Amino acid sequence: MLNWIDQRTGFVTMAKDFLREDIPGGASYWYVFGSATLFAMILQIATGIFLTFFYAPSASTAWESTQAIYQNPFQHFVLSMHYWGSSAMIALVFLHLLQVVVWGAYKSPREIQWIVGVLLLLVTMVLGLTGYLLPWDMNAYFASQVAINLTLTVPVVGTFIQTFAQDGTTLGTLTINRFFGLHVWLMPAALVALVAAHLAIFRHNGPAGPPVEDPRPLKPGRFWPDQVFMDTFVSFLIFAIIIGLSFIAPPFLDAKADPTQSQFVPYPAWYFLDLFGLLNLVPGQFEIVGAIIIPGIATTILVLLPWIDRSTTRTFGSRKPILWMLTVSMAIILGLTFWSQAGIQAKEAASPYKPVDATTITAAAPAAAPAAGAAAAPAAIDGAKIFSTNCSSCHGATGQGMPGTFPPLAGNPVVQGDIKKLTGIVTDGLHGKIMVKGQSYDGMMPAWKGTLKPAEIDAVVTYIRTLK
Amino acid sequence: MSNDHRGPSAYDDPGTPEEITRRTFMANATLTLGGIIGLGLAIPIVGSLLPKTGTGGGTWTALDAAGWKELQASTDKPVKIDFVLTGKDAYLPEASSPESVWGVKVDLEKFKAKRPDVYQVKGGEVPYPAVNMGFAIFSPICPHLGCRFNYDDSAGKFLCPCHGSQFTAIGEHTAGPADRGLDPLPLREQNGKAQITWIRYAPTVPDRIVVSYMS
Repeated sequence: MLNWIDQRTGFVTMAKDFLREDIPGGASYWYVFGSATLFAMILQIATGIFLTFFYAPSASTAWESTQAIYQNPFQHFVLSMHYWGSSAMIALVFLHLLQVVVWGAYKSPREIQWIVGVLLLLVTMVLGLTGYLLPWDMNAYFASQVAINLTLTVPVVGTFIQTFAQDGTTLGTLTINRFFGLHVWLMPAALVALVAAHLAIFRHNGPAGPPVEDPRPLKPGRFWPDQVFMDTFVSFLIFAIIIGLSFIAPPFLDAKADPTQSQFVPYPAWYFLDLFGLLNLVPGQFEIVGAIIIPGIATTILVLLPWIDRSTTRTFGSRKPILWMLTVSMAIILGLTFWSQAGIQAKEAASPYKPVDATTITAAAPAAAPAAGAAAAPAAIDGAKIFSTNCSSCHGATGQGMPGTFPPLAGNPVVQGDIKKLTGIVTDGLHGKIMVKGQSYDGMMPAWKGTLKPAEIDAVVTYIRTLK
Repeated sequence: MSNDHRGPSAYDDPGTPEEITRRTFMANATLTLGGIIGLGLAIPIVGSLLPKTGTGGGTWTALDAAGWKELQASTDKPVKIDFVLTGKDAYLPEASSPESVWGVKVDLEKFKAKRPDVYQVKGGEVPYPAVNMGFAIFSPICPHLGCRFNYDDSAGKFLCPCHGSQFTAIGEHTAGPADRGLDPLPLREQNGKAQITWIRYAPTVPDRIVVSYMS
């Protein structure tokens, strides 16, 4: 049977060729980092593809569809796996890179394989950055705003890069479209192409082997099944950790992005904390140093490493300067990371902003309610439209309100109470601190009499009384 | 892979000189046609990605009356004034959202001396009076990286929660990473109502550059 297929496709021979590979010095758990990273990438692609089934990229649907994902246990779990998978992938890319540097595995003839690897690191970080905006909650908005605006420090073309990145002069719905396209198509396509090149070159050069004077006389071991088993075993462990974390610590969705919020302390993903710390170290007028120059120099050094490391062998003894450089760089990166984390935590503790768990905001399907109650239908449909255009940006799409600022309408005794008083508030506005169900709110309710006709105010009042 | 079932190869015979020139032509033509396809795809795709960057025309938006009254009654402490900004985010339907600006009562001569930068945008002067009726209106967006700052009463300063930029009550930059002082917005009075024009300036850069007049 296999023979019959092989004669017509050549696939069996191809698979055998693929699995027959000598491993210098025998299979080892030291060689699992590359394949573990590949596993994390496959996991990200698998979960990511299905998240696009539920996510809708636009400013009026991004947060709402994410909230719906959070409210479906299975969809939420897929999202949690994607969230932890992204951290796993970045961590494994770093570990893989670290091992290659420690072992000097980038040396001739593996320079191009190394450069493709550095490109993969950059693409992975862009994937992390673009994915960060998509949920469109508070941190997604403000952290991305800061990251995008940093491109303005680039001389001459900074403004162009910034407007190009956000597709316009402000961060908005077009930015979500653009980041979505980058995150789900362009960057993954680049990632898969680069991984294919990385692996093809790897097979061409063969494994580098341990960092000894001359690895050639070492007794070789088998790729299949010895090394494949180790790779699979480690991938299984990583999968178990991701599953565990997805159960114990699923990601958090905050309130929908509110550009006017002035207390919020944005925080970057953990793998950007070192760059964040760098920005805080340099004075404002030298922002370009922290934002562009130092990261640029670091990337250049990384690309040129095979030519900077001039020793002829890969032994640790002959590569002391490079290993010292690596130790110092790692100390700086870790130091900046922990320092930034501590700084952000201190600022968050001091900020009056309190995150809202979006999963506790119940979407009571108000749009479906008027359709069910046929008698009230004409007025309610009209009111729903007026509500979504004029009121929902403060009081929320389902009338859930915004803590501390705009009171909820759903379940609000004033809304359910005297209709004359309610109409009066909508018509003439309301100022100053109010209390609703034991919570205080101090936002401003504008007077709508200049904007809406009395009949429209009546329709919207009728509508908000149906919110539950 | 075994190719045993195949006959002799076309590549075994180099061919006549005419065949060789013809093949050279076909190889070059293949590359050229492929290049044209690539270029024909690249031009519209790159064009489609270019952002719209026109600043548009400014419109006047009424400030909340209570906030305006509070500013008029104030001394030298900044007042946060709310208003409703109506605008469009690209293709989404027009929507209203709550916004706010900071207003402060200033002494015109002192203000001019302390904040000469307010009168300048890149390439010239601000096309509107930065102080009107004795008030300066500041955009609530931090000129550093676009966060929203607050006024700290006890310190008598504007503080930004993101990266710690600080500004005095009249918007002078005193500490933190920002590159310039707070940005002015035009103010006028029409039929007893105060109105402003909502302008966004490029953050981060030392120059004050208008990026959009949001309608």
